[in-house]
Amino acid sequence: MNSFRYIPASNEEIKKIYKFIGIKDKKELFYKIIGDISLIEEKELDFMPAQMDELSLYKYFSDINDKLRDSGSIPVFAGGGIYDHYVPSAVDAIMSRAEFYTPYTPYQPEVSQGTLMALFEFQSMLASILGMDAVNASMYDGAESLAEAVLMSLRIYRQNCQTDSDIGNNKKIKILVSKSVNPTYIEVVKTFIKDLGIVIEFTDIDSEKGYTDAAHLTEKLQENKNICAFIVQQPNYFGIIEDLEIIEKIVHSEKSDSSSKPHLIVCSSEPFSFGTIAPPGFYNADIFAGEGNSFGNYMNFGGPLLGLFAAKKEFIRQMPGRITGKSKDSKNQDAYLFILATREQHIRRQAATSNICTNNSLNALRAAVYLSLCSKEGFKEISLLNLKLSHILCEKLIDTGLFSLKYAGNFYNEFVLEINNKKMNKKMNASVFIDEMMKKGILAGISLEDDGNEVLIAVTEKTGIKDIDNYVKRAIEIFS
Amino acid sequence: MKKFPGSKGLVFNEDLLINQSSKGLSGISMPSNNLSGAHISKTAKDYIDAKFLRNEKSSPLLLPEVSESTAVRHFTRLSSWNICVDTAFYPLGSCTMKYNPKINETIASLNNIRNLHPMLPAGYIQPILKIIYEFNRLLCGLTGLDEFTFNPQAGAAGEFTGMKIIKKYFEVKNEKRNIVLIPDSSHGTNPASSYIAGFTPVEIKTFFADKPADIKNKSKGYIDINELKKYINKDVAAIMITNPNTFGLFEKNIREAAELMHKNGSLVYMDGANFNAFIGNCRVSDFGVDILHLNLHKTFSTPHGGGGPGSGPVGVKDFLKEFLPVPYISADRQAANKKQAANDEQGYYYELKNKREYSIGRISSFYGNFAVILRAYSYLLSLGRQNISKISEIAILNANYMKKKLKDTFIESDPFPEELCMHECVLNDNVFQSEGISTLDFAKSIIDYGFHPPTIYFPKNIHGAIMIEPTETESIKTMDSFIDAMKEIKKKGNKYGSKSPKNTKTGRVNEVLANKNPIFK
Repeated sequence: MNSFRYIPASNEEIKKIYKFIGIKDKKELFYKIIGDISLIEEKELDFMPAQMDELSLYKYFSDINDKLRDSGSIPVFAGGGIYDHYVPSAVDAIMSRAEFYTPYTPYQPEVSQGTLMALFEFQSMLASILGMDAVNASMYDGAESLAEAVLMSLRIYRQNCQTDSDIGNNKKIKILVSKSVNPTYIEVVKTFIKDLGIVIEFTDIDSEKGYTDAAHLTEKLQENKNICAFIVQQPNYFGIIEDLEIIEKIVHSEKSDSSSKPHLIVCSSEPFSFGTIAPPGFYNADIFAGEGNSFGNYMNFGGPLLGLFAAKKEFIRQMPGRITGKSKDSKNQDAYLFILATREQHIRRQAATSNICTNNSLNALRAAVYLSLCSKEGFKEISLLNLKLSHILCEKLIDTGLFSLKYAGNFYNEFVLEINNKKMNKKMNASVFIDEMMKKGILAGISLEDDGNEVLIAVTEKTGIKDIDNYVKRAIEIFS
Repeated sequence: MKKFPGSKGLVFNEDLLINQSSKGLSGISMPSNNLSGAHISKTAKDYIDAKFLRNEKSSPLLLPEVSESTAVRHFTRLSSWNICVDTAFYPLGSCTMKYNPKINETIASLNNIRNLHPMLPAGYIQPILKIIYEFNRLLCGLTGLDEFTFNPQAGAAGEFTGMKIIKKYFEVKNEKRNIVLIPDSSHGTNPASSYIAGFTPVEIKTFFADKPADIKNKSKGYIDINELKKYINKDVAAIMITNPNTFGLFEKNIREAAELMHKNGSLVYMDGANFNAFIGNCRVSDFGVDILHLNLHKTFSTPHGGGGPGSGPVGVKDFLKEFLPVPYISADRQAANKKQAANDEQGYYYELKNKREYSIGRISSFYGNFAVILRAYSYLLSLGRQNISKISEIAILNANYMKKKLKDTFIESDPFPEELCMHECVLNDNVFQSEGISTLDFAKSIIDYGFHPPTIYFPKNIHGAIMIEPTETESIKTMDSFIDAMKEIKKKGNKYGSKSPKNTKTGRVNEVLANKNPIFK
């Protein structure tokens, strides 16, 4: 048996093709195409492992899966941009349909109505959750989506500047970012804007409350000209709920000393929060960029995730990525397709609003199925459950006397605790604490800094009271 | 009468799910979590300030209210409206729509693997880091490059990463170079990515005419060295070459072009989206390439997911390693000794590192699309050294089989009749036009025969382009059937074409209407 199971050509048929195209063998085929560039010889493929039959392959990965029992099937109290929510079986069942996972981007709408209508539903549901006008068909992940939001804001700002003589084009454009935004997101934004002549500046956080310092924001906006956007995260990196009402007033205020008002960009890595707290659209956010992995997706060791992108209707032609729209077909039925494609790279090349092509469509579909199952009340209920459970754990941990709450602001499902080293016999920093908890089969959180005492802890509906009580019990054991 | 796969059958109508709601229904099973009575009765106000709460009046939540069974039926019906690789030949040029092996899906669904939080301590994720590390070594072997990053989430992100590396490289060398040369046969993402990275893309002409009569004098379909020389100066940072290019042709002068670039102090970036033409037989390092991106969702068999997720790893030569994005995985024997974590047979301890001397920085939330990398790794292990070179050989054979088989009817449409193509072949619309059939009509017609249309109107410099990529996972019978359908469409003429597709549930979609008055939710 010389054939390979993914290739439907017998040796006879291969010979037949060679004969038909008038080529003797592989050597001649390549020689006629690439000339005298050397081909990889068989012995040079030694770096490749020998082929594995399907059973061996399954066993190989199944063994790895077994080895990961103590990291892949333990209670997860770590967030930091990705949250361990339960994925119902119906989501997996639908998403294992090849009709959804094996097609390409729906360039031919007549044979892609399934994907397109599901994406339309995704956009509609997300628009209502976020309270935003227009949502696109997905970006890669929260960080990249935020970077694209900055580029979009910059484009709009520059266009406005061209018609506004008050603002010199030669002046450096700035973006202002709250220090409470996920540091990884900030790193990615920096990578994207590095060679574009944009300056990034930061606003402080209120060290007691843990949210953006409104007075500092006002000050920053007054002393700087040419600010195209202010970025704030909701809930922020420390889990704290930002007062977007106040922030919006400051950012969009006439007094911000610029004839072109800065955009308010709200990002989020836990949109489940918007089942409980008011969404960014309610606060007149201009652009929303964030992570949607919480809806029906696995953590997958950090990818693929689901980049969410939304904006006000007036900016729709400046949005990056694919947008699904509704139209009519030749029989006057409702039909779906990608719209406003003239924004995109395959038509506009360098003048496109983004270089993005392949996005994370299947993850968006997972979210669509998940949210469809949730229902309106169910979504709110799960959202509330996250809030409750996190507050229960937080309270119980503080009651042990081992920890104190770092920030006094209201939080959603994530919070920062400081280890009370002063009071304890056993000194330990956050990473050691997390390591010790791992030994007891619990991912207890994320250490905020190397050698620091602060632990960022997240709770989802997947961890019940039993897990929470176990967390508390084990923590006490570790410190005693 | 020939029998084609396309047929009519019962298809289901299905309304938007939101229109099927009955108040109070839900498809979710709420976890009980063993909450105690006191907590059950509490509301959000008991935990957070009421001013933060969502208000149904000002922010209505429009989610469907249906049972699990209704939701499942809804999406199952929707799925039946899609053509996909598993149901039909999908010869979408430059997209490499090969078969997606099922074992890879099984592996990616293993429960402990898919539930891994990305910030677990390194000691608990050794097997995962090892997979990424080993896959890196395999890609290096296959390309002749020295290290890959897996952080880019798709091809365009890979291009962007590559362009940023080039930017940083010249910044460190203290040279101001702003131009990236891009042949006009490149993917649209190339100029877009280089522009977003802060470069000025400059287009090089590779194709001057698509009438066969002019071809001998003017057009070659690949980079002309004399033409290229006109563009080379000290502002040029790099050339970005799609190879094989979007005409499906090998860039015959790539080595000479690379030499010229290197002599000028510039770098050579290769768009490896079409690497399916080379895998197992050619190394891009032999072409003089310094930086390359690959598309795991093309050459490496991972499914396209109806538009993603993909993965666009970027590989570089040794001298550019330190410019790669962070985080990256390091393998260390000494660390293994220290940590006594000798569970790896090679004695390595794997770690995620955040510092690199000249790193361009971070480009993604975590480490790229791990679940896609896992599928691609599984694919390479299935093939092994015994089968890896068959992939590109048969992909090329199949494309040339189609190209030649089409000649009797479509010779006037072949812009490169003398050339062997690589993984795909391109036609212009001369022959169809002579029957009054536009490329769009052809594409919509072939749907009725049970095939996904090829890529159309791309590349732009081929008039009414039709770009066919069969891949190695299609049989002679399937290719023959597709070719017969093309010939029949030509015979039937424009009367049929302009009204197609006829067998699909949805007829031709009105694009003008959709863009004039966008409805997007």
